[in-house]
Amino acid sequence: MNPRSVLIALVALIAIALGTWTSYRLMSPPPVPRTATVFPASAVLPEFSLLDQYGNAIGREVFTGQWDLVFFGFTHCPDICPLTMQTLANARQRLAESGHDPLPRIVLVSVDPERDTPDVMSQYVDYFGDDNLGITGELDEVRKLTKSLGIYFEKTAVVDDAYSVDHSAIVIVLNPRGEFHALFSAPHDVANFVHDLPIIMAQP
Amino acid sequence: MTRRFLTLALIALLAACSVEKVPLVASDVSIKKPMPGMNMSAGYLTLTNNTSQSIIITHVTSPQFGSVEMHESVLEDGMSRMYALGNLTILPGHTVRFEPGGKHLMLMRPSIGADAVTLDFYAGKAVVLTVDTSLQD
Repeated sequence: MNPRSVLIALVALIAIALGTWTSYRLMSPPPVPRTATVFPASAVLPEFSLLDQYGNAIGREVFTGQWDLVFFGFTHCPDICPLTMQTLANARQRLAESGHDPLPRIVLVSVDPERDTPDVMSQYVDYFGDDNLGITGELDEVRKLTKSLGIYFEKTAVVDDAYSVDHSAIVIVLNPRGEFHALFSAPHDVANFVHDLPIIMAQP
Repeated sequence: MTRRFLTLALIALLAACSVEKVPLVASDVSIKKPMPGMNMSAGYLTLTNNTSQSIIITHVTSPQFGSVEMHESVLEDGMSRMYALGNLTILPGHTVRFEPGGKHLMLMRPSIGADAVTLDFYAGKAVVLTVDTSLQD
């Protein structure tokens, strides 16, 4: 075989390989979330008037400009709430380590504003990371937000005069337009967030 | 002869004692330091009943905490709920785990500066297990 024939065969082989790879890329389905539920149409949040962990007045515009992972809980919850906050913090850390940019913000909205003052919220959310947001305020204003997101919560007696708060355990994903975009159902797992969030956040 | 018999009996008794299991055993004990600004924490551990009878834990106390309660977190229809456990029955030969997202000890009103923690598990008026541990960061 002369050099010209070898060259033609080589070019043909490369062309076939490129064609196969391109068709595979075009025909293979895009990655889909493993556990998260992504809504076909994002929902706009209602107006509300609450406080961040520094005592600043905030409204729904606080959710614009970044992806948010929003959990509804309370600081006197000894088990599920710190477990969920730590899961979200670990997932965010794993995404950071893999070079994912931007990173979602972690938000805790208190369903126990009676005990969760801004100062209490500040110490609590800071424990799980520097960039977290804590939200508290008047109960009626909290309910405006929870109702629009399908979050349910209820104060319950535990022992004597001590009380707990039963609450929805989902984690809500808000897109940078501040819209209800997706949700993760409990029980929560770091690996599921690490797998699904890049896919969700790649969506417009 | 009598001396030899007594010696053998003593050896047999000591051997029996050495293989006898502790009735109730705690393992994997973990109590986190209360978070900043918080006056409570959660405790986790595994309890194993090595006896041939059920052991019923009625309550738990700690000198380092104002109160200790046995609670259970459950996920029901997407809701996170917490219940106070009444008596906790550990069947013969069984193990009960207190772990994140499930049964846990709710430890409230910690003593300031206490790092060492003692937990006393009661069956009625009797202490059936004492656990000494340290708070974890």
